[in-house]
Amino acid sequence: MSRLPQDLEARLTAAAPAGVEYSAETDSHGVTVAWLGLAAAADLKPVAALLHEMGARLSMITCAQPSVPEEEDEDEDEEDGEEKAAAEPKETPKTFGGTPFDGTSYEIDYHFDIEGDALTVIAYVPQGGDIPSLTPIFRNADWHEREMMELYSVKVTDHPDPRRLFLDASVDGAVLERLIPFSTLVNAASTKGLWERLLAGKKGAA
Amino acid sequence: MSTNTVPETFSIPVGPLHVALEEPMYFKIDVKGETVSHVDINAGHAHRGIEYLTTKRTMYQNVVLTERICSLCSNSHPQTFAMAAEKIAGIEVPERGIYLRVVADEMKRITSHLFNVALLVHLVGYETYFMHMMQVREIGQDMVESIFGNRQDIGAMCIGGVRYDLDDKTIAYIKGAIDKIEVETKDIIKTFKSNGSILRRTKGVGVLSHADAITCGVVGPVARASGIEYDVRRAAPYAAYDRLPLVVHSATDGDVWSRAMVRLEEILTSINLLRACLRDLPGGPTNINDRPDIPPGQAVTRSEAPRGEVIYYLRTNDTPQPERVKWRVPTFMNWDGLRFMLQDAKVADIAMIVNSIDPCLSCTER
Repeated sequence: MSRLPQDLEARLTAAAPAGVEYSAETDSHGVTVAWLGLAAAADLKPVAALLHEMGARLSMITCAQPSVPEEEDEDEDEEDGEEKAAAEPKETPKTFGGTPFDGTSYEIDYHFDIEGDALTVIAYVPQGGDIPSLTPIFRNADWHEREMMELYSVKVTDHPDPRRLFLDASVDGAVLERLIPFSTLVNAASTKGLWERLLAGKKGAA
Repeated sequence: MSTNTVPETFSIPVGPLHVALEEPMYFKIDVKGETVSHVDINAGHAHRGIEYLTTKRTMYQNVVLTERICSLCSNSHPQTFAMAAEKIAGIEVPERGIYLRVVADEMKRITSHLFNVALLVHLVGYETYFMHMMQVREIGQDMVESIFGNRQDIGAMCIGGVRYDLDDKTIAYIKGAIDKIEVETKDIIKTFKSNGSILRRTKGVGVLSHADAITCGVVGPVARASGIEYDVRRAAPYAAYDRLPLVVHSATDGDVWSRAMVRLEEILTSINLLRACLRDLPGGPTNINDRPDIPPGQAVTRSEAPRGEVIYYLRTNDTPQPERVKWRVPTFMNWDGLRFMLQDAKVADIAMIVNSIDPCLSCTER
């Protein structure tokens, strides 16, 4: 049913010597959505090169900082394979590859399209770590990686054009890792503060 | 090498306002005479941080928020978001809801495509025909407004189905309206194939080769005009698309004209899809009439917006708010592809080429 190659899992496993976690599910329309967790971020490039060879298209890159998983015995839960496997009690949970799950590590999801089927390759990067750029293999990773670098303090090595994409250079980086109050965002400390500034301006004018 | 002091190349700013339509795109373009030699893209004028906001809203509030990311594809965002939530929660949308989703989607596609191609004609300078095409689009906009009560944000989607219903009277009205649009669109296609002004300004302009289209990962009509026959509705069917007479249109030239033709032909296909939906519309409820909690999980869903593939990644946890929502709209890919299309173009064609990707900045920058 699936349009993914039959030996996809085997080939991906061969490309990632540090180990992978693979799962796939096909829906009632015959569309397969597969997930591939990588134990080591260093395996990302060989896996991407293999996917490129198979004619995959890089559709999107998502960066996130997964929250600390709850310590509870979840029953069969295919979406949360990584977190479940790592939920050992009383110490910082880790991904199956050993990246700590402490709320500061990054999970970077590379969403690929293979003739209509979706494959998401997941790499974990600890806080302060870096990830190689995929631009030599997929040119269109460019903007996704630039956006990732401005939203999080994750480093992308060997990026050909590591400028800001959407945020101005004057804005501090890693905006999704900080709480930015709405009033700061819109440049008015608070409604009261804005009001006071207006009044002061009025007095000054009078 | 010339000996005078005039530099061989100089830079011109294009934008940020009103390149082709009233959206802030800013290009720094180096030109050599009348020819573009290098393009630099400066983005970010419409960045609003909506991705962050989604994690502060509940799943159900986010249906409303995602609809407001964009105006012309305002139906694709909540739909794809709802599909992701439904996938995580294992919600089955009722049959009638599935068909009504297609109806809403295709209505938006018709008006979006007509708008883009009308703007092309405006940039050609053929103002009378531009106004005529906008009037044709107005039949579609009237239809959208009559069914949903709004011209842009139609509020049709919800997690678990749709929020509107059709009765015999509205179905008859839609059929009448699309009959009118069909006749007019066929006429527009004829004009596009024969009118000298349109052909001269659009044929062979802004070419994106098949190979470059693959490298840039472009999607939607831009990809299809460069010979990539990819349409999410066929490649990864959702809603009722695998049961409908979907035709995927493509071209090989990859120029502005081909992109316009793909869009015009897609309007006719959308009309046929609407007819099939209205004919086969099953009975029963339009949504699940419930607001279940969305359990922790993650999902990737895609849909074909008027401009191409929209992809949503949703990750939920035990709270009512999602942990991460990330989406990528077609313009995010196609905008970067403009570098290739604008290379060696004439300055006078820049606006036309920019318009030919049907740019949508508010949803690209979020």
